[in-house]
Amino acid sequence: MGFYVLSYLCAAVFMLVTGYLIYRQMTLPVHVRWEIYPVQHETAARTAYGGSYLEEINWWEKKQKRSLFNEIRYMLPEILLLRGLWKENRTLWQVSFPFHFGLYLMIATFGLLLVNSLLTLWKGPVFASGGNVKTILDSLIVLTGWSGLILGNVGSLGLLYKRWTDPELRNYSSFSDYFNILFILLFFLSAFVSLLFDPFLEGAKAYAFGLLTGGLPLNAYAPGQSISGGTVIVSASLLVAYIPLTHMSHMFMKYFLYHRVKWDDAPNRRGGSIEAAILKNLELKPTWKAKHVEADGRKSWRDIASSAPKEMK
Amino acid sequence: MKKLLKPSDLARPSDCLCHIEPGELSPLPAPYEDFNQVTIPPLKPEKIKNIEASLDDTVAIGISKPASKEEEEKLIRQFLSGLKKLFEKENNWTFLQPLMLSMEHCAKCQTCSNACPVYEMSGKKEIHRPIFRSEVLRRIYKKYLKPGGKITAKLTGDIDLNWTTIARLAELSYRCTLCRRCATVCPIGVDNGLINHEIRKLFSQEMGIAPKEIHEKGTVQHLRIGSSTGMNPLAAKDSIEFIQEEMEEITGYKVEIPWDVEGADILLLHNAGEMLAWPENVGAFAIIFQAAGVSWTLSSEAAGYDAVNYGLWYDDVQFSRVAVRHADIARRLKVKKIVIGECGHAHKALTVIADRLLTGDLNVPRESALVTLEDIVLSGKLQFDPRRNDFPVTLHDPCNVVRAMGIVEPQRRILRKIAPRFREMTPHGVENYCCGGGSGFAIMSGYNFAQWRNLVSSRKKFLQILNAFEGELREVPKYVCAPCSNCKGAIRDIIGYYHAEERSRLYYSGLVELIVNAMANMKKPIIRFGEEPLWE
Repeated sequence: MGFYVLSYLCAAVFMLVTGYLIYRQMTLPVHVRWEIYPVQHETAARTAYGGSYLEEINWWEKKQKRSLFNEIRYMLPEILLLRGLWKENRTLWQVSFPFHFGLYLMIATFGLLLVNSLLTLWKGPVFASGGNVKTILDSLIVLTGWSGLILGNVGSLGLLYKRWTDPELRNYSSFSDYFNILFILLFFLSAFVSLLFDPFLEGAKAYAFGLLTGGLPLNAYAPGQSISGGTVIVSASLLVAYIPLTHMSHMFMKYFLYHRVKWDDAPNRRGGSIEAAILKNLELKPTWKAKHVEADGRKSWRDIASSAPKEMK
Repeated sequence: MKKLLKPSDLARPSDCLCHIEPGELSPLPAPYEDFNQVTIPPLKPEKIKNIEASLDDTVAIGISKPASKEEEEKLIRQFLSGLKKLFEKENNWTFLQPLMLSMEHCAKCQTCSNACPVYEMSGKKEIHRPIFRSEVLRRIYKKYLKPGGKITAKLTGDIDLNWTTIARLAELSYRCTLCRRCATVCPIGVDNGLINHEIRKLFSQEMGIAPKEIHEKGTVQHLRIGSSTGMNPLAAKDSIEFIQEEMEEITGYKVEIPWDVEGADILLLHNAGEMLAWPENVGAFAIIFQAAGVSWTLSSEAAGYDAVNYGLWYDDVQFSRVAVRHADIARRLKVKKIVIGECGHAHKALTVIADRLLTGDLNVPRESALVTLEDIVLSGKLQFDPRRNDFPVTLHDPCNVVRAMGIVEPQRRILRKIAPRFREMTPHGVENYCCGGGSGFAIMSGYNFAQWRNLVSSRKKFLQILNAFEGELREVPKYVCAPCSNCKGAIRDIIGYYHAEERSRLYYSGLVELIVNAMANMKKPIIRFGEEPLWE
């Protein structure tokens, strides 16, 4: 039961921290525009060269054309295949891609394990032993599990090697950078060793079933019977809790980096929601100390912006 | 192998942390090989005796050294106080979210380094890596402002905080042109240019530290006198009067430049530097607008005839003051829109950044002159004879117009119509390289900073220009079209520094000059290569 408690606790930490990170981003004040082109929700003709709606005469009189399709078309290969890294830093991509794709496949495997558990709980005839659905699902679990672990091990070993041996990377790497990769490598390695003894992931299926049922055993399964199996459960659980606490949260925070900054080109229109947010911001009272700012904690941004500085410095 | 500098080395005592030896800069091709052994001339010891000059071979700010231990400690406290304010919404709502995201998610993959022209051209000096200064700030922030930071610093990256660290960091923030090429290639979306911008703000807004050229002679003078050039409204009017006369003399076209026309369709905002350094640019705009029958005006009110907003580069407060002043002038003139002349940073400042500052009737529509000009040139209102521009032309893309605003094609559509020998630089558009004069560098020349700019930050642009004209005969005059005042300033200096007019017959100017030069009803050319008229 201890393994399950650990997994539940770590999942709770993940959800709480991730929730906090997202909440914090959602509640930050509207900032000034700082987009950078190409902005991928522009029309296809414009994204091809990085153009914007600002290229149109009297652009404010026209409805801004945005394309969700273009955005998705760009983001999918960016997220799944790390297209940006492929283009700009090919040698790093050679190790970063297997690392990241290995992680994605592990997430996919876990998702499939949960589906498997749900269908097992449901006990529907469609999911009967020997049936097509079960066979397909079992095969997918094996496929994603094996390929994910092979890629993950290759990627994390490659990343570790690259960070350690490339002077450019090593010069800026701290203990925590190595620790992060080693931590993930520990998971990938232990999971791979477990896989060698359990190539069809029966133990993983049983553990996922136990996760959904509060530890209900499947086929008299007890988690963590082997050292590698126990290490997988502990390292995977701790990793889930650890990732949002580090810069590795870029896995999901990238959404804000792109949508709230890099591609945030929404114009401020009179009477609109952006204007309302700006009006609120302008009432904030800065306390910058340089004399030319002339902030005294009572004057608002509005007051200061509409005045001229009396002091030079 | 030479030991690489680490971010923590910024705190280390040294007379010169990063020195460029002759031959270390990226090589230039023929006929410029004689510059390959040239390096930045050393500063005279008496000139830098009392200022912080230990970062590298140049000085941008010239920060006075603290007189006592107490003063040093006070300055450190001020720095930390400012750093804290960068992460408070009351003080930094303007950039809080972008800053937090970039501070928290860098994977230190170094993809940004390959995109940075300053890093590349400097001979790959560590201090010029986009991540270097970000990492310094990140480490200071985590160690000195985060709970338990002094312990976790051992795990996440340590740095000592002393006066040297702070003063060098301030200087280092003026070795990046804020071109944000690094940000476009970051797979995560981290923006080291933004972090650099925030470092500059901290120093200016909390400690009153900024280069004289952009603060005292820049925004302060702009707000007090009316222009960062020092021109007051009377002087601006005189300049325009002179330009009207000159235009008639040069082109044979009589132009009337309107002042303060209430209710005009367009308020045209020029960088006032154009009036002094490139008056033909102001005149060419007037010719085009007049010939096309546009309803337009200039403003003679202080700050209304100078589109610049140096606050964009270093200080949100000064930025806001200038932007509000510009918008208020347009509001009172009751114009339909503001059109921003050939000034890149003014484009971004007033159109994009100030967009989330101006509310109600201050939110006057703003448009790039490149868009307005495209509309005129392609409308058929003017007749062109492109053969008048029968010389090689290349286009420099100002970062603030292209990468920061996505205005890429209008200027190209114009050039395709009026310049038959137009060719692109490589790379161009949103992947362009900065002229090397961005973020204030073009107007900064104290100490030996101009030499550093010409040798390091503008070097990539110089190489690009030379490549664009590869295969052209030396004696053929070549035109670099730079629709931005700061870029023009930087390119003018490159051409002068490397004797490129003599050696390659390189010339530069704006876009409107090319348009006017190709207008069929012009009696005389506006563009001259040296003393030689193009056609007559």
